[in-house]
This record gives sequence, structure tokens and C-alpha cells, in this order.
Amino acid sequence: MIYYLLLPFLSIILVILQSTITDVIFSGRLVFELSLIVVIYAGFRLDLARGAVLAFITGFVFDCVAGSMPGLFTFIYVVIFLFSFFASSRLAAEKIYIIVLFSFFCAFLEDLMVILFYYLAFKYDVLMNIYFVLLPKSLIVGLFAPVFFYMMRRVEVFFYEKTD
Amino acid sequence: MFFLRKYKTAILIIALLAIALMMLSVNLKYGAERGFFSKIVLQAVAPVQKGLNASIKSIRDAWLRYIFLVGIEEENKNLKKKINELKSVIISYQEGYLEAQRLKKLLSLTDDYNYNFIPARVIGREQAALSKTILINKGTVQGLKAGMPVVVPPGLIGRLVDVSWHASKVLLFIDENSNIDAIVQRTRMQGIISGAGSRGLILKYISKTQDVQEGDVIVSSGMGGVFPKGLLIGQVSHVDRLEASLFLKINVAPFVDFSKLEEVLVLASSENKTKQQ
Repeated sequence: MIYYLLLPFLSIILVILQSTITDVIFSGRLVFELSLIVVIYAGFRLDLARGAVLAFITGFVFDCVAGSMPGLFTFIYVVIFLFSFFASSRLAAEKIYIIVLFSFFCAFLEDLMVILFYYLAFKYDVLMNIYFVLLPKSLIVGLFAPVFFYMMRRVEVFFYEKTD
Repeated sequence: MFFLRKYKTAILIIALLAIALMMLSVNLKYGAERGFFSKIVLQAVAPVQKGLNASIKSIRDAWLRYIFLVGIEEENKNLKKKINELKSVIISYQEGYLEAQRLKKLLSLTDDYNYNFIPARVIGREQAALSKTILINKGTVQGLKAGMPVVVPPGLIGRLVDVSWHASKVLLFIDENSNIDAIVQRTRMQGIISGAGSRGLILKYISKTQDVQEGDVIVSSGMGGVFPKGLLIGQVSHVDRLEASLFLKINVAPFVDFSKLEEVLVLASSENKTKQQ
């Protein structure tokens, strides 16, 4: 129960942290979506209910903080969590290149959904942003995901001595 | 009930997705008015964001201050280096200026006298206690000969005693072995100037009946043909009238500070100059 109580606060901290890191490191030119990596990681490590709630809340907080259309990232994060959850049983999560490729794919999938949504809802042609914003963002997520996975495993081992 | 328990996870997920889609569709349809939960989230975000920004700012400021200090240290190092370089430049300029002053004096001397002057640089000093000689960088190749007078502004300092091809030794007139025929400029009384080492010079053989006063200028007499007439030698510093002696004991202070000699002029004969002209 405490997990569900703490989740909103942790999500807020996570989203603020990622926006601050983005601001400090990339000066707002690129996006570092740590929350997406957390959702992907949740797909690999958490059960369906906990992970789905985490994805929902994180997406909602991200919607609120990022100023996007409310519900958009909430929906996308839940979808990506589900995708990640069902893919995790077929993927070897301990291999770094798998994590990199899968995270890159998830980030790209998220971007495609955003582009599709804006195109369907507002007829915005944001396809040109793929090369300058979305592709670098997916690369950053893909490259940083193994680091996050490793760190989280160390944390799990430290707290729960849970290695698998 | 059994159905709900069996498929609770699936129902939860479907519910979450449905809520998300509903939010999306409601916002699409009715505009961008923020909901209650959105407002709560934003309210909660503000203090956290503020705290995080403050800590980031303090870290960034500390880092920038560090970078600034590193820059200052580097700049300080560079400035110190530059100051040292400029100091050496200033010293070389000062040296040049002082040398120019000295050479100017030498040139003025050459204008005053109708002699052929050969400039030379002092390259050594005799360190023996009694001997007072200097070494100059000109020799027979430049036309120097033993016995030639050596001067610096404003007067005489000695004569050449040993001359090699490219160096010569100058016997300063304060050397104990130096004797020069001289006269008191004011009274035209003739005497012999002898070297007295560190005490300067002594004017000998001036009768007690003669009028010699402190401050009288002593110049070369031109007798003997070694030194030209009228070259400054020194100034009377003390006159002693000893009862037991026939002559006055006159101490003469040289015009030149021998410890500071750097450039000198050797007087070649005036005939040479006339020939050159």
C-alpha cells in the first residue's frame, strides 16, 4: 500500500529531476526522458498492476509538468509499459545491447505515437522534428537505459538482495 | 465477483487506459481547462522544483566560482609572468638610457677637445689592493698604444700601460705608481699628482708659500707630452700646511668614481684626427 502512496510523490520528483537534468546538461536543446526509462524498467521488473499504476501516474505527472495534452503521455506510458512487460519475457534483459535497442525502440515508438496523435488531432505535421529532436532523444534514452538498469539492480541488491 | 477477482489486473489496466483516453478526449473536446488532479500535481511540483533549482543553482554557482577562480589563478600567473617580462624590458631600457647618457657625455667630451677619441668598454678591473688598473676591450688593432691617455667625462682617469691586439690595461691615476704633471687651474701653480689608492690623489711639490685652497680645480699641465694640457683631474679636498715640510700636503679628490667606470675614451694623438679629417 505504501508503494501506491509514495508513487505520486516519487513520480513528481522523478519528472522534476529529469526536467532539471535536461535543463542543466542539454540547456533545453535535447530531451532526457528518464521517466520513460523508469517505465521500461518497470515493464521488466514489476508485476502488471504495480507497473501499470506506476506508468499511469508517471505519465499523468509528466502530462501536468510538461504541459502536453492531459492524458496523452498517461496513455502512451501505460501502452509502453504493457509493451515492455510482454516483451520482457522474450528478451534477455541482462544483455546491454538488448536494453539499448529495446529502449531506443520504445522511445521511438512513443515519439511515433505523439506524432500520430498530433497529426490526427490537430493535423500538425511534426514529422520534421524526428531528425532534430525525437531521434536524438531516442538515442539518449537508449544509451542511458543500461546505466539506469544497472544502477537500479544495484539498489535492489542493496535493499532486498534480489538479484534476478 | 469471481470474474472481477480473476481479471482484476486486466480490468485495472483497461480502466487505466480508458481513463487516459477519456482524459485525452475530454481535453480535446472541451479545451485546456486543467482538472483538479492536474492542479494538485502542479501545486506539489512548485516547491520541489524550487528546492531543486535552488540546490542546482548553488552547485552551479559554486562551480562557476571555482571556474572563475581557476581563471583568476591562471590570469594571475600570466600577469605575473608578463610583469616579469616587462620588468626585464624596463631594466634593459634603463640600461640603454644610462648607456646613452654616458655615451652622450663621452661625445660631448670629444666635441670639447680636439683629439682623436677611441671609445672602449671596460671589461675588467684589477682586484689587487694596491694596483688600480682596468682592462678595456680595444688594443693595437684599433690603434691603441701604450702611454695613451684615457678619459671619461669630465676628465682624465689614467693611461694605457699594456696594450695587446684586442685589449689594453689602463693604469688609473689613483694607482700608487701613477704620477702626472698637473697645475692648479686658479693659480697656475705646477705640481705632481700622485696616486694614493683609495685615498684618491695627492698633489705634491707645491710650496707652502703658494695659495692653494680647497675646491681648487686641478688639470693636466701638458708637460712631458703624455697628457694633453687642460684635462680635468680633480678638485682639492684638503690642504695641510706641515711645519716640518717645505711643501703643502694637498689631497685631491678625483672627478671620476672609478668603481663605476663602464665606457672610456682613449685619446689618440690630435695629428691622427687631422689626418682622418
